[in-house]
Formats: sequence, C-alpha cells, structure tokens
Amino acid sequence: MRTAILTLGLFFTSIGYTHAQLERKLENTNQPVDLIFHAPRHINLLTVEPLEKKTMHFAIMHTFGTLDGGIENLFGLDNGANIQFSFEFGLSDKLSLGAGRSSRDKFYNVYGRYLLLEQTQNNTIPLSMSFAGGAGIVSNPYSFLSADERPDFADRLAYFGQVMFARKFSNKVSLQVSPTLAYFVNPLPIYQIEGNQNLYLALGFSGKYKVTDRSSLTLQYIPNLNSDLRSNFGIGWDVEVGGHVFQMYFVTSQALNEQYLLAGGNGVPGEEFRLGFNVNRIFALGQRKRGKS
Amino acid sequence: MKILGFIAALFLSSVAFGQEFLTKNGEVTFLSKAPLNEFEGKSSLLNGLIDLDKNLLDFYVDLNTLKTGIGLRDSHMRENYLETDKFPFAEFTGKIDEKPNLQVGDRRSVKAVGTFKIHGVERDIEVLGYLTKLQNGKLELDASFDILLSDYKIPIPKLVFYELAEVQKVTIKATLTQKK
Repeated sequence: MRTAILTLGLFFTSIGYTHAQLERKLENTNQPVDLIFHAPRHINLLTVEPLEKKTMHFAIMHTFGTLDGGIENLFGLDNGANIQFSFEFGLSDKLSLGAGRSSRDKFYNVYGRYLLLEQTQNNTIPLSMSFAGGAGIVSNPYSFLSADERPDFADRLAYFGQVMFARKFSNKVSLQVSPTLAYFVNPLPIYQIEGNQNLYLALGFSGKYKVTDRSSLTLQYIPNLNSDLRSNFGIGWDVEVGGHVFQMYFVTSQALNEQYLLAGGNGVPGEEFRLGFNVNRIFALGQRKRGKS
Repeated sequence: MKILGFIAALFLSSVAFGQEFLTKNGEVTFLSKAPLNEFEGKSSLLNGLIDLDKNLLDFYVDLNTLKTGIGLRDSHMRENYLETDKFPFAEFTGKIDEKPNLQVGDRRSVKAVGTFKIHGVERDIEVLGYLTKLQNGKLELDASFDILLSDYKIPIPKLVFYELAEVQKVTIKATLTQKK
C-alpha cells in the first residue's frame, strides 16, 4: 500500500514537470483556406475569392482579335480589343458590390457577390460557395439607326445570376463550378451576340494548377446548356507580382462579362483563339498609408 | 500516513512557491524594412510561459493570427512564405542565461538562450530583453531579435526583393501573470 501511494505521489509530481512546456494550440481550428484562386477573376469568370472589407478590386481585362490573322495583324492585336474596366468594393468580408464597363456594345454592368460558405483547412467546410448577380445595359446610342429603330431602354437590359462552388483540393489544384444564367430582355441582332434567345443557361468550370508559388496554369470551360452556341474554352497563365495578378490567356470569345460570355458565341478552340490579358489589383481603402504595398 | 503527508507537502510546496508566469495575449511584431516598402505583421495572441524556478522560457504564436493590414498580403504571407497550413507556429523555448534575482519594481536586462522555430526550421538563438517585476505578481517582458528569412528556408523571389526584407525584426512585449 505504501509503495503504491509513493509511486502515485511520484507520478503526480512528475506530471508537474513533463507539463513544463505550453501546449501548442491553434487560435482558430476552423481557419479558412487561403487563396483558392489568385484573384476575384479567373480568365473571364468571377471566383469565390472574397474581398476584404474596405478593399477595392480593380480589374482591366482585354481580349483581342483572332490569332489566325498571323503576324500581319500581330496575332489579333491589330483588330480592336474588347476592354472591360471593373471596380468592386468590399462592403464586408463577405459582400461586395461592383461595376464594370465593356467596350463591346458599350455595356455597363453592376453586380454583387456574396460569400456564403468558406472552405476551412480542417475540412469541416469542404468547399467555398458564393452567389453573384448583376444587371447590365447596352449603352451604344446606335445613332446610325433611325429613331424608331433604336432599341428602347427596356430592350437594352440583360441580367445574370451565378452560384459558385469552389474547392482547393491541394496547394496546387483548385476547381470551381459555376452554374450561370443570363437573360436578355430583347436579344436584338444588332447586339454583338450570336444567340437569339432570351434565357441562356451554362455551367462555368474554372481550374487552377499552381506551378510555382506565384504562378499557375489556368483553365476555363463554359458549356452552354440550352443553346446551340459553341462553348467557351480558355487556357492561360496567372502570375502574382507584388500586389498585382496578371492573367494571360487564349480564349474562344471576346466577351468579358457574364451576359455576353453566355450569349456571345464562341470560335472553334484552336482555330479561332484570341489573346486575352487581365490586370488585377487590390487596393486597401481608408487604412494607414504604411499598410499599402 | 506519514509518507502520504510528506508527498502531499512536496506536491503542494511546488505549487505554492511556483514562480510560473503565463500570458495568452502578448504582442509580437515582425517588422520588414525593405528599400521600397516597410510593413509589419502583428499579433496580440502570443502565448508565453516564464518559470523562474525551473528557469524555463516557452513562447509560441499562431502565425495565422499575424495581420499586416492588407488581407491579400496576409494570404500571400501564409501561403507562399510561412506555409502556415504545415507550420502554424513560431516558437521559442529556452532559458535565461543568468537568472536575475528580481525584486518588485526592478527592470533588468536579461539574455535568453534557446531554440527558435519557424517554417519547420529550428535554430539556436540568443535574445536580449528586459524583465520587469510588477506588483500584484506580474512580470513584464520586452525583447527583440532579428531573424534572417533564408536561415529558415523562406526564400524571397527576386521580384519582391525590394518589397520584402530578408531581415525581419521580431519584437515581443508581454505582461505575464503569476500562476496561482
């Protein structure tokens, strides 16, 4: 009995010593994964990548003419580019509002994104999920048409809605599936779209394969579900340089916003590829100057 | 029974006269002074233990709590440099080189020797700092030391060489409370 108590006593005192070091504990065991994609844009599609509160995402996107013109047209760079400028503001860490303008048909778009689920490192939430929706208007005056032939205000409107499911499978591989719909109130032939129906349904696929710490191979595939239009295909390269993300790609369409991506039509992959180029930049607003990079 | 009493006394004594000081909310700052850009990563969740009896120092911080003021930069820091999914903690375990005999109100310079670990790499380092004994059983610690990112296998790509400094100045400030 005595020896038993003695050993018990020794056991307790020894616990006091082996417990000398602090136990390492994570402050947040549900830490979200970092950067499923490099930027809130991935080739042409939006991603689940949220904006932090009080930050602004500025993106300039270009798509040029088809490559088949060869060196004479500098692989399409001579043929007018479609350019989209967009600004998106983070109202909270989940909700952001943006506005953009594409030169094709002088199309203005306002949109919002909301992050509903965020993938965690411990997989308690296995994927991130976001909603996006927007409304746009064709602002081309069509002044070459007589006044009664010009589309009126309602005819010029087009909307889109999108749900995005994304998962970072490993440090290298991320995938996103984005069921998307676009609705043109009146898909007039004068618009630079190939489709003639009002409603377009499509699935957007975005893929990222990280090659180095700061660059990735990117893929985009947007099969149309309810139209005979060819599907959009894109392949590219993302590079992070300082606070910028540069995205270079070959894509089958000049469209840069969701409505036109779905209704705009596409060239044959390989034959009618176009060069595309995006610059993404995140600005911190209303923070001390030192915090800027 | 005597022995039981003896053991109880032994056990209690080590508790009653323990000189263990703890904190869970110390401040730690990593200052990066590169030619084109100066910024700091800050956390106020430094966990620390100073045991003056056993002469043990043990500190760690969850690097996920480090904030630089720009969310995207934080993400890059975690993913590309610190790789916090694999190596979430920065840790220091060591002892005070010459244990000071602290009286209330004293501010003494101390040298700590031990092992610093970040990004899965351990190195023996020396840290100079100050210990101050406050009233009501509190101990204040200020210390700072430099770490070289390459020592810990954290490479800086040439493109960001002017924005991220190779030498990071680590500053620690914590008030530790005596364990009762």
